[in-house]
Amino acid sequence: MLDLGTGDGAFLERLVRARHVTAEGVEKDPDLVARCIQRGLVVHQGNIAEGLDQYGDQTFDCVLLLGTFQELISPVEIVREAFRVGRQVIIAYSNFAHYGVRLQVLFRGRTPVTKSLPQVWYRTANLHFLSILDFREFCRQLGVSVIRQDCFNAHGKAVILPNVFAAEVVTLLESYIRKLNQT
Amino acid sequence: MKDPPAGILQGDLQDQKIAGYQSHLGVTRTQSVTFHGVQVQSGFTFDQVEVAYQTLGTLSPRRDNAILVCHALSGTAHVAGLHPETGRPGWWDFHVGPGKAIDTDKFFVVCSNVLGGCDGTTGPLSTCPETGKPYGMDFPLVTVRDMVEVQAKLIEHLGISQLFAVIGGSMGGMQALTWAVHFPERVRVCVPIATCVSHNAMQIAFNEIGRRAIMTDPNSNSGKYTSDRRPNRGLAVARMVGHVTYLSEYAMARKFGRALQPPVNPAAADEALFAVESYLHHQGESFVSRFDPSSFIYLTKALDQFDLFGGKPPDEVLRRAQARFLVISFASDWLYPPAQSRELVRLLKRARVAATYINLETLYGHDSFLIENPEFANVVRHYLGNEYRNADFKEAGAAI
Repeated sequence: MLDLGTGDGAFLERLVRARHVTAEGVEKDPDLVARCIQRGLVVHQGNIAEGLDQYGDQTFDCVLLLGTFQELISPVEIVREAFRVGRQVIIAYSNFAHYGVRLQVLFRGRTPVTKSLPQVWYRTANLHFLSILDFREFCRQLGVSVIRQDCFNAHGKAVILPNVFAAEVVTLLESYIRKLNQT
Repeated sequence: MKDPPAGILQGDLQDQKIAGYQSHLGVTRTQSVTFHGVQVQSGFTFDQVEVAYQTLGTLSPRRDNAILVCHALSGTAHVAGLHPETGRPGWWDFHVGPGKAIDTDKFFVVCSNVLGGCDGTTGPLSTCPETGKPYGMDFPLVTVRDMVEVQAKLIEHLGISQLFAVIGGSMGGMQALTWAVHFPERVRVCVPIATCVSHNAMQIAFNEIGRRAIMTDPNSNSGKYTSDRRPNRGLAVARMVGHVTYLSEYAMARKFGRALQPPVNPAAADEALFAVESYLHHQGESFVSRFDPSSFIYLTKALDQFDLFGGKPPDEVLRRAQARFLVISFASDWLYPPAQSRELVRLLKRARVAATYINLETLYGHDSFLIENPEFANVVRHYLGNEYRNADFKEAGAAI
């Protein structure tokens, strides 16, 4: 597995220890890279916005974009790169169409600050605000299909009307363009 | 970038005296061993090669805790502890010792002077058995590969069939890489620091300036100089140029700025006016007292000719490596810039070799691995500790 924007490696370490997967992380901050090394992880200091040229095609079973997706300047290029080096991609993002967000905009008239979007607009690292419907459209444009989607809010799994009630979304993606090429 | 914490010494241990410096290792000695019939890549065969080396720490009963430290251009076998005669600390005393980055309580550390060097291992200063005189410029060209082959003999002599790690910076990094691809089954962990797979034009150019300074010294006599008339001025100039390339603009600005060197005499055209000039003079003179001009020529030639892949596809060469890699570069290093380390990492990863890469923000240029450097020390200590523990687990697992 390849974990993009692995931070201090806490999540990746849990994954490696609990599931015994062979995994490595990419992180741009040298202090966080040092913490990953401290945890015994294989880690690469690099900026994912500059591409993943260090990895050959189809090196990984799965590429993770868990805390970083909305901070990427050009998500299209990075998702394409992720599908070049990996077979499947898991992306996590915050749903901007969650009812709490909708209510804040409607009644307060301010840019929302929620549990999932905890920073004010001038301090947030998130560049992109999207809903589940937006993400589906994004996948269609890229030729990527959503194999599995899990939605969460403060109460646990959000099953009913996820585009309204989900705060966080985790999706497992596969590229059907590659599949078409293979068959 | 962060400023270093106050109290950190900005400089390496090779050419400056640090008042009150204490090594945790006390006095350490260098030993010597002779090997017979050593052929080098140029085809020349030495009747005998003497190797000066130092060992620190204790070899474990399983003989699985040996770390070979490879020194850079101007390094010696005296890696850490105090020299019995001069009282000077070894060149990597900051990072090798009890509880340090390379922990001598845990690991058995070996460091030897390279073939072609001038600190006890056979080099141009050594006596040629046929002529009874020093080899001088009749010494055969040596390569990084030749240095590593001699180290391999030493490691065998010490009864070690597999090294836990090979670690080195700059020229030492080239040796570490060479170990990993030419003796893949004998290296578990490879730590190349501030190095490259081959020199670029700029690196060759700086070395050539050094070599020309020596060869055009009136005393050089095309390399056939005698010990009482050595091209010392040329060597000093070579070291001055080299030293500047090891530093960074920040390091020099912080250390000297435009400070003047007393006695200040701005009217004198032939005296050092600025402190930095005087410092470089001192570096040059100090180097001359411990280094041989022809060794400088031979070792820089070996550096320039180094090519890890030797014309083969990188993928094919690197796939042989069985070691796990930790590649370290320094953002402020303009002699061996991070891009060279990134290229090495790219080639390793494309060959499906497990490689961790960190580009430390230490501000002191190429010399960053030689100075007191807590971030660097932490990374190396944790990496070696984790890998040693993991290797242990794997072996225990295999035994069950």
